[in-house]
Amino acid sequence: MDGPIERRWRIVATGSAFALFGIGGLAFAVFAAPILRRLSGTPLDRERRAQRLIHRWFRAFMAYMRFVGLSEIRVRGVDRLLAPGPHLIVANHPTLLDVVVIGSLIPQLDCVVKREAWSNPFMRSVVAAAGYIPNDSGDRLVDRCVERIEQGGSLLIFPEGTRSPEGELGPFQRGAAHTALRSGQPLLPVSIRCDPPTLMRGQKWTDVPPRRMRFSIEVGDPIAPPTASADETRGVAARRMTAELRDFFAKRLQYPAVRARRQPAAAKPDRHERPGCIPRPKS
Amino acid sequence: MHSKAEILKWVIEILANEFGMDTAQLRPETRLEADLDLDSIDAIDMAVRIEEKTRLAFSGEDLDSIQTIQDAVDLIHARL
Repeated sequence: MDGPIERRWRIVATGSAFALFGIGGLAFAVFAAPILRRLSGTPLDRERRAQRLIHRWFRAFMAYMRFVGLSEIRVRGVDRLLAPGPHLIVANHPTLLDVVVIGSLIPQLDCVVKREAWSNPFMRSVVAAAGYIPNDSGDRLVDRCVERIEQGGSLLIFPEGTRSPEGELGPFQRGAAHTALRSGQPLLPVSIRCDPPTLMRGQKWTDVPPRRMRFSIEVGDPIAPPTASADETRGVAARRMTAELRDFFAKRLQYPAVRARRQPAAAKPDRHERPGCIPRPKS
Repeated sequence: MHSKAEILKWVIEILANEFGMDTAQLRPETRLEADLDLDSIDAIDMAVRIEEKTRLAFSGEDLDSIQTIQDAVDLIHARL
């Protein structure tokens, strides 16, 4: 466990990491984004260039985190992530760093990101240049995800939609399953464990862990959508695939209690629809 | 003229067939989002099935107003 000197070092190191990350975001906005916009190519080319730059930045950032003794990453099954695409990656979301950790492993990655990122001054330029997909709900989100898969890239979706509650899995949304159903692309589950648990929802950044964070990443077997001949409505198929996905994570993460249902709308502040009503389908 | 009881039966049947739900769990006061975990894609599918059955079209506002199975029954009954 940490003594007072080590703990103070961790707080300083953690502060420096947050600062570095913020500076990176601003530097991207000020220097990289304008240059990327001027380079030739289609919008897709520009987005991919931005994604590759972001990957290099995430790799450098995780190298820094390792260097100052804050974290390390262990991966099982990384070959599945690096094989030629497309990949429809679904991961649990225990910490603030999950996108950075996964992004540091994959040279070019698309991501479904919270809509709030477009209002965040440190992130807005990055998410816009990379062409990340905002998590506005519903049919249009699935269409955009399917489009990305059809373009052949890797797409990361967090079915929980937000960071996990402490020590358990949050309820799973079914957008990833619908993307798999519409595109025919299997789901590729990736479990993320962080030991000791840190950077969780609701934690203060000064709640530094007593030792180096170890991220254990495991890439599972693909979960294929049903064949066209299967006699299942998409509502049933999406639920079944999502349950299978949840099973994968529950087994690997071994959380003590796994919540089976979504909370009532009032308990979820990120939702955009009026609480209590069924969501309005986007036209 | 279709009775509310008949419409209730339709709605329950649609929910059971479309989403694999157990009819024993489906009562008039059952809330579609809070109890049955219907999301916006499910709402589209449900609306399509209801439209097929009733030949009625429902707007986004209509669907916004439905919280429970009974609300759906009342809305359909009012339009038929």
